[in-house]
Amino acid sequence: MPLYARRRLSNWIIIGLSVAATAFGLLWLVMVMGTLLINGVGAIGPALFAQMTPPPGSSGGLLNAIAGSLAMTGIATLIGTPTGILAGTFLAEYARGNQFGELVRFINDVLLSAPSIIIGLFVYEVMVVRMGHFSAWAGAVALAIIMVPVVVRTTEDMLRLVPSALREAAAALGAPKWKVVVLVTYRAAMQGMVTGVLLAIARISGETAPLLFTALNNQFWSTDLNRPMANLPVVIYQFAMSPYADWQLLAWGGALLITASILVLNITARILAAWSSFKP
Amino acid sequence: MTSPTARPLAAQEADSADSASLDETPARQARRPVAGPSVAAVVQRKPADEATTATAPATKVDIRHVNFFYGKFQALHDISVPLYDRHVTAFIGPSGCGKSTLLRILNRIYELYPGQVATGEVYVDGINILDPGLDLNRLRAKVGMVFQKPTPFPMAIYDNIAFGIRLYDKVSKSQLDDRVESALRRAALWDEVKDKLRDSGLSLSGGQQQRLCIARAIAIEPEVLLLDEPASALDPISTQRIEELIAELKTDYCIAMVTHNMQQAARSSDYTAFLYLGELVEFDETETIFTHPRVRRTEDYITGRFG
Amino acid sequence: MPADIAIARRRKSAGRHGSFGDPAFKGLTLAFAVLVLVVLAGVLVSLVLGALPALQHFGFNFLITEAWNPVTEKFGALAPVYGTLVTSAIAMLIGIPVAFGVALFITELCPSWLKRPLSMMIELLAAIPSIIYGIWGLFVLAPFVQEHIEPALIDTLGTIPGIGLLFQGPPLGIGVLTAGFILAIMVLPFISAVMRDVFETVPAVLRESTYALGATTSEVVWRVVLPYARIGVFGGILLGLGRALGETMAVTFVIGNAHHIHASLLQPGTTISAALANEFTEAVGDLYLSSLIALGLILFVITFIVLALAKLLLIRLEKQGAG
Repeated sequence: MPLYARRRLSNWIIIGLSVAATAFGLLWLVMVMGTLLINGVGAIGPALFAQMTPPPGSSGGLLNAIAGSLAMTGIATLIGTPTGILAGTFLAEYARGNQFGELVRFINDVLLSAPSIIIGLFVYEVMVVRMGHFSAWAGAVALAIIMVPVVVRTTEDMLRLVPSALREAAAALGAPKWKVVVLVTYRAAMQGMVTGVLLAIARISGETAPLLFTALNNQFWSTDLNRPMANLPVVIYQFAMSPYADWQLLAWGGALLITASILVLNITARILAAWSSFKP
Repeated sequence: MTSPTARPLAAQEADSADSASLDETPARQARRPVAGPSVAAVVQRKPADEATTATAPATKVDIRHVNFFYGKFQALHDISVPLYDRHVTAFIGPSGCGKSTLLRILNRIYELYPGQVATGEVYVDGINILDPGLDLNRLRAKVGMVFQKPTPFPMAIYDNIAFGIRLYDKVSKSQLDDRVESALRRAALWDEVKDKLRDSGLSLSGGQQQRLCIARAIAIEPEVLLLDEPASALDPISTQRIEELIAELKTDYCIAMVTHNMQQAARSSDYTAFLYLGELVEFDETETIFTHPRVRRTEDYITGRFG
Repeated sequence: MPADIAIARRRKSAGRHGSFGDPAFKGLTLAFAVLVLVVLAGVLVSLVLGALPALQHFGFNFLITEAWNPVTEKFGALAPVYGTLVTSAIAMLIGIPVAFGVALFITELCPSWLKRPLSMMIELLAAIPSIIYGIWGLFVLAPFVQEHIEPALIDTLGTIPGIGLLFQGPPLGIGVLTAGFILAIMVLPFISAVMRDVFETVPAVLRESTYALGATTSEVVWRVVLPYARIGVFGGILLGLGRALGETMAVTFVIGNAHHIHASLLQPGTTISAALANEFTEAVGDLYLSSLIALGLILFVITFIVLALAKLLLIRLEKQGAG
């Protein structure tokens, strides 16, 4: 085969392969979402939100798990958001180009991708062992630790995007640095920062491993943060691995719930990001 | 070097009109700027400012032997130049000559960035503002700055102006309203925004945004105004309005303006300093600089032979 | 002094603005930045302390022992480590080419109206939590693999001497291969996203001038874009690897949780994270617990090294781009 024809052929092959690869990736997305929907929709109903997790063989819902997840995610957000934002502010406003900042950024990015089960192990050693029992607090702290690097990263990136001319204009009026940051720079970066927080919440909503050794699980309704608390991911884990059909159905329902909330959070974040670029 | 304060501007202008016919030697005629006529004509058409030139202008800012370094690179060499109160001083020169750098020394905004160092002295009303112990926030209350690119804060128009005011004074709501209105009026923006004070500052056009920034700067009642190419990002009509504004504002402030537009410098300023490669080449009344500059290099720049 | 008063002018509530607010705010942000470092140090220290009993008891043998017997209290990390490495290797082998194909498609071939929705959908793969992949893997993928893929593999590749060893045994559905496959799907969006970002930093003029020479699309990407971006691509691969090594829930569901090493990929095995997930809450006995934590320490060290390398490469890339 002449060279030119060979080149064209290999080009078409590679193009074909890349199209196939993309279709491949999309296929799995569709399949996962599809089976989630099919298997999980059967569990969706008022009972899901009204009743507690049942013992095997009886019907029930996921109320305690949903409540527990909401509570722990909420507490984690309350801890993680200010921590992440302030640390990110430090990196963007006080530590550009210096070595300490580089170190913190480096460590932060490593923590960002670190296995979440290791974080769970850490919080186990530091909180559960100390306290002598599993607790929702420990679960929330583990989730917060996973959340912080995400928020730090997005906060720093968004703050860096604010043009220095804006900071200079505020400083030129005589505003001290902290006012420049809090009153002007934060406002300019607000949308991006909120998007980052939303994405971080989406990230921790589905995390199971860190909760396995911290909050554990609870079959019953509990509002005691000092005790193990039910949560969706661990319930799904337990129910799905079990041989009981009704438990498995509930597991699918819970999985659908988690995925739906993550999707909503992601889409909200994207709409927010797109909206900010349209503002005059 | 003759002192620029020696003769009132009006008298000088009358002289130059005569000198065209009386003092013109062939050599002088030959040296007359070729591209000059447009600029020189502009200068000569400027109405004489009786009020501000009846007495010798007072020095508001005295820049003495200033050097500036970006790290190891020396951007300004031994600059000494006075800025007169209630007059506009323009800084002109090719790109990179240091004019913006010099301006940014006057409110020490360069200190936001590590590695940038200024030496020498700059006296504002007799106080050396390069003194390390000086309160920078108070300096910037006295010396205001407007930047090249309009930078409205991401807040309501009202809040943009109020931001600066609130930094310094606790004022009641009605006092604040008054001061915001006064600043917007002086910046010739009030009529256009009075009905939409709560709208975002970003919703204004480019020219309006720049006037907003000017209003914001004068709202805190500075005494010196630094304008860094205030109209370079604007269309000609907005530019004209800014220039009209500058002409009005100069009765109250000492204005230092950086511009790369020579015609603008000729139109709007009373004194002009020409910088080249970080050195002050010539400083004189604007009319002099543009019609018969003393230094060859100045003339070359004015006539467009380089830059 | 009159001049002093002139500067002070009539600032009624001037106060001393920056002199107190500024250091306080800076200190506050610094404290939280230091907290990030403290957490990492804390993780390392607590893992080391927890693993110490097991490491002291077993010594170096811990790394090379396959045995894992809670009853006799003989523990060894070989099986989990092996499983971690093999599943990640499978994930990389499948994931890298697919990610490359996706990145190529999106950056070069895709019509511009399709780019954003397509990128978003691929990124959605990354947003799906691990546990969802886990139950999907257990209930959908594993049976599918058991009925269709594995028999096919056994019949074809299993007969070839050498490689055939990888595909022996009864088709179980769950096992190392399935786990690796799910990991591939999970790391695909990460690698692809980094590759895409890196491809897009290649200057348009470079691509255009190569096209102008008459090069085909694949030649442009393969010969010019990829070499230009190779540091970033490699960094992205390492990032994906770091994720694959640490993945827990998806793997736990489908790997079978057997502390054994087999040559065949079709057999069940275990990974470090799966072992931890499965056994930690039921571990009785200090040595058992400590051995598990030792596993965690090994995982932490491995992922830290991989992620640190990835980060260093990506930093170098930024510097290269800026320079």
